[in-house]
Amino acid sequence: MTEASSAEQQAPPRRGFVRRVAYPAAVILAIAGVIYWLDHRAGGTTDIGEEYGPRDLPAALVPEGASVTAAVGSLAPDFLLENLDGGESRLSDYRGRPVVLNFWATWCRPCRKEMPQFVEAYDKYSADGLVIIGLNLQEGKSIIQPFADDYGIDFPVLIDRDGEVGDEYRLLGLPTTFFIDRSGVIRSIFRGPLEGAVDGTNVQGAIAGSDLDTRIAEILPEGDADGGG
Amino acid sequence: MEAGKAVPQRAPGWSRTLSLINPLRAVWWLFTSVRFAVLLLALLVLLSLAGVVVPQVPSNVRGDAMAEAQWLDRQHERFGFATDAIDAAGLFDVFHQRWFALLLTVTVVSTGSYIVSRFPGVWRTITRPRRRVPDRYFDLAPHRVRAEGAVDPEALSAVLRARRYKVYTEASGTDSYLFADRFQWAQLGTFLTHASVIVFILSAVVSRMDAYSAPLFLSEGATLPVFPVKNPGQMQVQLINAHAEFADDGQPLNYRADLAIFQDGAEVLRCSSTVNSPCAYRGFHFYQAAYFGYGATLVVREAATGNVVYRETAALAEKTPSPHIRIIGSDGVVLLDDTVLLTESAGAQDREYRAGLLRLPDGTPLTFWLPVEGGDLVVFEPSSGKDAIRTSLAPGGRYTAGDLSLEFVRLEDVPSAVVPEFPLPEAAGGGLGDALFLMTNVVYGTDRTSGGDVSAAAPPGEPRLTLVGLQPQSITLAPGESIEVDGLEYGFEGQREFVGIEAKRDRSDNLVWIGAAAIVVGLMITFWVPRRRLWARITGAQLSLAGQAPGHANYTRELADIAVAAGARVKDDGDND
Repeated sequence: MTEASSAEQQAPPRRGFVRRVAYPAAVILAIAGVIYWLDHRAGGTTDIGEEYGPRDLPAALVPEGASVTAAVGSLAPDFLLENLDGGESRLSDYRGRPVVLNFWATWCRPCRKEMPQFVEAYDKYSADGLVIIGLNLQEGKSIIQPFADDYGIDFPVLIDRDGEVGDEYRLLGLPTTFFIDRSGVIRSIFRGPLEGAVDGTNVQGAIAGSDLDTRIAEILPEGDADGGG
Repeated sequence: MEAGKAVPQRAPGWSRTLSLINPLRAVWWLFTSVRFAVLLLALLVLLSLAGVVVPQVPSNVRGDAMAEAQWLDRQHERFGFATDAIDAAGLFDVFHQRWFALLLTVTVVSTGSYIVSRFPGVWRTITRPRRRVPDRYFDLAPHRVRAEGAVDPEALSAVLRARRYKVYTEASGTDSYLFADRFQWAQLGTFLTHASVIVFILSAVVSRMDAYSAPLFLSEGATLPVFPVKNPGQMQVQLINAHAEFADDGQPLNYRADLAIFQDGAEVLRCSSTVNSPCAYRGFHFYQAAYFGYGATLVVREAATGNVVYRETAALAEKTPSPHIRIIGSDGVVLLDDTVLLTESAGAQDREYRAGLLRLPDGTPLTFWLPVEGGDLVVFEPSSGKDAIRTSLAPGGRYTAGDLSLEFVRLEDVPSAVVPEFPLPEAAGGGLGDALFLMTNVVYGTDRTSGGDVSAAAPPGEPRLTLVGLQPQSITLAPGESIEVDGLEYGFEGQREFVGIEAKRDRSDNLVWIGAAAIVVGLMITFWVPRRRLWARITGAQLSLAGQAPGHANYTRELADIAVAAGARVKDDGDND
């Protein structure tokens, strides 16, 4: 009897470890893993490559203490993107000139509404050095080119194929326009009121022509081109 | 036990208490407990029932705070004071609550733990079955038979092999022992059934977390993105052509949408989508969900530069009642056989009217007045002459004055819309404002096989778009025509159809199929090929059989049949039950 009781008490050590430690630990890890996945799951991704997208601003263009982020008063984040003509453009190449950076897409009705104003503003202010960059979000040239021809767009149109530049600029909806002065500092941002999920998209109100003129007037003056922070 | 000799004991006190409340052990115990699993499943059923009985927040409302608040207000009418409590408990959106996801997860883990805990034992009984049982077992087994007569172990083995048993024999002195096993792998069927529960729950979780749906309302030629703004997997859907056929009675016969899918700036797919046969690309399905046939594309250009300042396709979703008038002059010449658009609003004698003006070929003006609240059409020639036309007609009514015959053929609903933010010429105030679009001579459906919901088939010819509000007189354009007003060129590109496309991704589909297959196969195995284990002891002239089989099998009778087939006489003494 004593021997039997003793034998019952002596479970094989390996089996005991598995039952008391390994299995429960696996259960806890499984739960933790699911919770982690729920909290950190990512959407579908398509890697377009590292050829184009956000870039670090050249050190020479960043004054000491200046911040680089998509916020008013900060230096505009740099990027390199392909343009509609087949070449490529980098935002920092325009340092020294005032830049209107307009995020748009052909499917966005307010973008279509305000586009003639940008065309008109470019005609009006390009002699003052103004650069307007139409930054198309994730569309193809076969869609963009007919639109650009139709609307008579003669300023640079860049294409953010994977939306990474849009991420860098914290885009919530379209259209969104950044007004960047000659020193590369974002002086104002226009995000129209959200018009609701029209057609399932996040579109915001278009900028009014008078407001566009006012904001351009803020970035046109010649001045310190060393950057801000 | 020898008195006074020390016996090893479990460590008393704190150590033993700690080992009992070992959190890992407690977790393991909890998750392998059948009672806990039943509790979880009961909870899931109850909450799912609540999710079916209690109205759930519609998907197009979820996430829009204002729309959610309005929806909740409507629920107050039904649930009264309990509404807030139900909302606070999350019962208006059961399947999207984090606690529901957590409950599903715990159920999955519990079921998984059950499988993990039971599997090694079952595996052992399959691969290393117990081939010899104690003699006492032949008196205790749930299924047992005792038979008389000299039974040859080889004969018993042959009978069992004929019944597809695997047979193992062992001699022990004068006695023979035999073990037979059939369908031993079928015991894994129960794990397949349990695994299907996990797969089903996982599919629900995947569907809840990963499923995506976007309604896209597209006009022909238009493009819309699948995701609201940007996404690493962003795609655009372009409607190349919409196709709709209707029977003569207006019943739809066929809908089809020719689509182009773009990704990464390139066209990646061109396909036709129908309600039941959607286009598919990278896990997304593009279903045709709606059709609307009255769209008009209008382009406005700066006359000086040719640049487009407006290009939109308006959905003409309103209907403006308009009379179809036929006027026949002398010698039977048809002077007019067309819809008269009532584009003006006017009041007279305390009644509101829609009014329209047309001129006959000889220049005679005729005005048409239709009461807004319904009534006869008033036709009035603004002339003081005694022969001036002044009459009121019901549909089908006719008026004759001299050689002139005027017939109010029918009342038609003309597709129309007030289009906001439309570029107006200086004559109309300039800037952006409202304009009224009316489109006549149109039918519903691509192939014009029917009038659809138009009251009568349209006359032959192209659709015409009438613009009201640009200048004192309305402007009517045929497809391809344009007109310049104050430096703006207004061009009608033609009638366009709209299609509602539902872009959906639900990667749980495959899991559901796998789960369904697993549960069907698992249950089929469990019920149709149940495992049989048989132990036999042959001692002199006595045969004892003991067996194990699932509860639903009448294995005792099978054992008796086997004994008889082997040449034994089965005792009917009440023990063979």
